[in-house]
Amino acid sequence: MFFKASTPGLPRQFRGKWNRKLYRVERELGRGANGIVYLAAQGGERRAVKVGSEALDILMEVNILKSLPQGRDSQVGPLLCDVDDLVLSGGQTCTFYAMEYLDGSQLDLYVQQAGRDWVPVLIAQLLSRLDVLHRHGWAFGDLKPENVIVTRPERQIRLVDFGGVTKLGCAVRQFTEEYDRAYWNAGDRRADVGYDLFAVAVMMVRLMGEAHAWQAAVRERRQTSSLCDIIRENGDLYPYRVPLIKAFHGKYRTAEEMRKEMLAVLRVSAAAPVSAAAASPGPHAGRGAGNRWIDILFVASLLLLAGTLYYAWFL
Amino acid sequence: MKEATLRQILVVTDGCSNSGISPVAAASLARDQGITVNVIGVIDNSEISEKGETEIRQMAEAGGGLYDIVHTRHLAQTVQMLTRKAMTRTIHQVVNKELQEILGDSALRGLEPEKRMQVAGLVDELGEKSNLDVVMLVDTSGSMKPKLSAVQQAIRDFSISLRSRSGRSRMAVCTFPGKQGFLEVRIPWTENVEQAHQLSAGLVMSGLTPTGPAIVEAIALFDEIKLPQLLSDRCRSAFDAEEDGSDGTLRDHVF
Repeated sequence: MFFKASTPGLPRQFRGKWNRKLYRVERELGRGANGIVYLAAQGGERRAVKVGSEALDILMEVNILKSLPQGRDSQVGPLLCDVDDLVLSGGQTCTFYAMEYLDGSQLDLYVQQAGRDWVPVLIAQLLSRLDVLHRHGWAFGDLKPENVIVTRPERQIRLVDFGGVTKLGCAVRQFTEEYDRAYWNAGDRRADVGYDLFAVAVMMVRLMGEAHAWQAAVRERRQTSSLCDIIRENGDLYPYRVPLIKAFHGKYRTAEEMRKEMLAVLRVSAAAPVSAAAASPGPHAGRGAGNRWIDILFVASLLLLAGTLYYAWFL
Repeated sequence: MKEATLRQILVVTDGCSNSGISPVAAASLARDQGITVNVIGVIDNSEISEKGETEIRQMAEAGGGLYDIVHTRHLAQTVQMLTRKAMTRTIHQVVNKELQEILGDSALRGLEPEKRMQVAGLVDELGEKSNLDVVMLVDTSGSMKPKLSAVQQAIRDFSISLRSRSGRSRMAVCTFPGKQGFLEVRIPWTENVEQAHQLSAGLVMSGLTPTGPAIVEAIALFDEIKLPQLLSDRCRSAFDAEEDGSDGTLRDHVF
């Protein structure tokens, strides 16, 4: 907590040392490993301001944000607005950066409220954001629902907290165990396209699967096979088994490739007639149907046996 | 630059030391030898006492490293993050010193953020490419027993993190107290922890937590680094040839 606790509290308003912009702090938005993000007002605009104790980590995030296309159309992360130093009353200097404030909710909270049918749609959108990032030579690294925002009112996916973003080929700078390829014994921790896509697939399982099954898989086995079990037993996830399992095994070369396959499944299941959807509802559908068939076959074989015996006895 | 090796000791404990030299003094000794000391306090159901937390913080401060107190659940990701951040910090300090010599005092603070971003990029790249030696020092006194399976997992996990780096990395794992001395080397220097080592097997039952003496003994592990004769000769001549190069000064400052 040396680096967490030493992040100082901000004054209610402050002026940047170099660019002289005045910020009015409204409230804390969240905490990352590198610093705290505040909501602030500056020149009539709302800004998210990230302040950290280690200037270096903050500046690395700025480096990455700057290297991304900063147009409205790219929409990977927030736009970068200002980088500056802040001199606290004690004379201590902190580095901060201000970015566009993204109004919206965290991906997991959004899904809780809007429903699970949103998951494939949002995941597909997330994949196209990642594709841009990858094409610029970066992997996101610390991919998890908490770092994905669904904006209001456009319902667009944006990535936040660039503390884990890593140059492709280097060791991932920051990760969260539940979404980490190495944690699931499915590979190393080198930043590549597959590392992010693995996390995307785990996120999808987490967001659409049953909470208790997810908990058990995380706590106990740490094998992708237990994630596959969740997919098999969940009627919503089952149609997406091919892209998910391919992502677990690192079979995609680009995020775009995975997105296309996800969309193909999405189109088929969304266009499926209502009766078909009703016939295979909810979780355990695959296994339930299978069991019923086995029961029927078992009864049939018993009847056949009885018939044979009867026949053999009397003839 | 390729020759630079960062040295770290990572102490994993859950409370106070109670035997031998003060661990804070030991950490300060390590720092003098160019070894950074990071400390992780692990908790599961009970909290760490205030005294324990103070000791952990002071150890990290004296050892020029970082500390964190985390639940066993988050041990693995904390090990990786603390190690990386401490590395970046060490390199940053060296680079700062260099810049100070070139530009005069408070050089970096006088630079505007735009310029410093370039320095940050350079430091980050050095961190990824430099060599790293880490000794993990695991407290195995009574209260740590239930947490050892998490520690074991974290060791395996850390090995994956190290393997994913571009620079050469090695780790060694020790437990304390040991059977004879204060320290027991469980996994000697290795670039790859393959199988799950059983930390809990053959542990000494003891009420002692000699954190300080264990750190002192761990420092000695870094001196045992020896290359095979042939290799070391070849490296020595390469080293000599490079000595006058521009990166010679950096090496001297770090190590």
